[in-house]
Amino acid sequence: MSLIYNVESTWLSLRHHAFRSLLAMLGVVLGVAAVVGMLAVSEGARVESVERIQRQGVDNIILHSEEPDARATGGDEVYFYGITTEDLEHFRTVFDNVKKVVPVVQLRQPIYANGKLTDVVLMGVGPRFLKISRSENADSRGRWISETDSRTASMVCSVGVDAARQLFGLEDPLGKTVSVFGASFKVVGLINNPLRSKLAGKHDINNLVFIDYENLLSTFKRDTLQVVADYTYVQVEDLAYLKNTADRIRTYLSETHELPDYTISVPYELLLAEQATQRVFSVVMSSIAAISLVVGGIGIMNIMLANIYERTKEIGTLRALGAQRRTILTQFLFEAVTLTGLGGILGVTIGFLIALVIEYSAGMPTVVTPVSIIVALTVSVLTGIIFGTHPAWKAANLSPIEALRR
Amino acid sequence: MSLIRLEGISRVYGSGPAAVHALRPTHLTFEEGMLVAIFGVSGSGKSTLLNMLGLLDEPTSGDYLLEGRNVAKLTDATRSVIRCKQIGIIFQSFNLFPHFSILENVCMPMRFAGVERHEMKARASELLNRVGLGDRLSHSPSQLSGGQCQRVAIARALANSPSVILADEPTGNLDEKTGNEILAIFHELVDEGHTVIMVTHNAEYEKQVHRIIELHDGNVVRQ
Repeated sequence: MSLIYNVESTWLSLRHHAFRSLLAMLGVVLGVAAVVGMLAVSEGARVESVERIQRQGVDNIILHSEEPDARATGGDEVYFYGITTEDLEHFRTVFDNVKKVVPVVQLRQPIYANGKLTDVVLMGVGPRFLKISRSENADSRGRWISETDSRTASMVCSVGVDAARQLFGLEDPLGKTVSVFGASFKVVGLINNPLRSKLAGKHDINNLVFIDYENLLSTFKRDTLQVVADYTYVQVEDLAYLKNTADRIRTYLSETHELPDYTISVPYELLLAEQATQRVFSVVMSSIAAISLVVGGIGIMNIMLANIYERTKEIGTLRALGAQRRTILTQFLFEAVTLTGLGGILGVTIGFLIALVIEYSAGMPTVVTPVSIIVALTVSVLTGIIFGTHPAWKAANLSPIEALRR
Repeated sequence: MSLIRLEGISRVYGSGPAAVHALRPTHLTFEEGMLVAIFGVSGSGKSTLLNMLGLLDEPTSGDYLLEGRNVAKLTDATRSVIRCKQIGIIFQSFNLFPHFSILENVCMPMRFAGVERHEMKARASELLNRVGLGDRLSHSPSQLSGGQCQRVAIARALANSPSVILADEPTGNLDEKTGNEILAIFHELVDEGHTVIMVTHNAEYEKQVHRIIELHDGNVVRQ
């Protein structure tokens, strides 16, 4: 039987019962809208958390030096703790799959501006930091601290845009001096991190003053710093072996460090855990939404049964004119699938709107993925097939004379 | 070879003592080019006989030879094909599809026969032309009178050039004048070599048909 025939007869039937068809569709429409909307919210949350983790760099293993608490030391005060220069050297030379080891050291002493305490922190970083953190030069006249600065131990610094505002107000920061704990650094550049990333997930990059790592270590005394690296970024070559490398670092550190003076964070592992959580979340939400689709399907079945009851004589006539059972079956199944398919399209549209409303009213990020649309439409068509089969089968198996008697 | 031979065709509903013998074993032969009327009171078995002839119902026993082929015990799919191509059916209440135009109504059996679209439309308008409705192809059945509707139904029955046309009280819902017009069309068809078998109550048609079959309590009492 031709497709055109099915399209035409479906169109005529739906047009004839426009309001009833719309009501029948409503369950599917709302079900699909709920699925699409919920998936958009959970996808939005996932993307946001993934981005947050990715900003720390998925190919990094981050080692934090931590001052061990009194319980671990037995009451003794510890002057020096955390990752050592030997550790750094070991990671660089002995471990394979390690691309770079980038230590970052922080000066604990606060920075004052015009006699007032600020929350700006001085950080010692390597020249590569600008690129690694995906930051950029914010003032074309300025520059980032360079390899040359590192070699010559120049007393220069680059200032984050927010830090500059705190330290110098509206004045031009270039050429000014940042003084901290008896040392002075000339500002040679202004940097901006458009992603507003945080260093080690803690320090807002735009609110930091950067000087060369080696320079910081040589300028300030060791007992002032207490560590050689507050944060150590170990960047791996191959993401596939990241877990292996992290485990080896864990083993190595547990063997070499007597005190628990470090922690390891692996953004990639966090990412995987986060994704697993989100998956559970999505499955739970979709299951709840799926229930409304089942309800919608029952509505479709109901309306199709009513439809067939009403059109019994028409079915009898079709059979008398020579229509095969499967022609009748196809016709009614096609009608049910059209109902749910249209309901699905309408539902996706409404789901889109729900996502927009949530994004603008609740401020939650939402993402409608093509996959969720495809899934929603497939499920609505399947609903039509599943709940349309019984009525269609019933129609096809009516005895022609019984049907004509109506 | 006769067009139709019924050899001991019967139809029994139910079984045992409660069984209803709607049609007792019947032997009938129909030749081509005849207008046949089946008479009988309600419950005499005339509708059952027509359902048998139209392959709408399966006989309990007996053989049905349509153009030499035994069609008494065939699958539903095969019987549908025969209904589609060899039998044209006309109903008392026309049974047109109300949502389709009359052109679409006439196309319907050709769709089931898999006729190509443009060919189908051409043949449908030719047939409607012939029954005098060529200027109303896009009208819906509700815009037509009863007589006109029955003419559409005749055109629809003729769509696949069937060997036999079966009519179940085709004039039952029409006034006398319109009924006579329909009968006139049947005569034209018979003159062209078609066979028309109709069930009717109207004794006036006795003189206008070539052959009369009368049923009583499932038995053929006159033929």
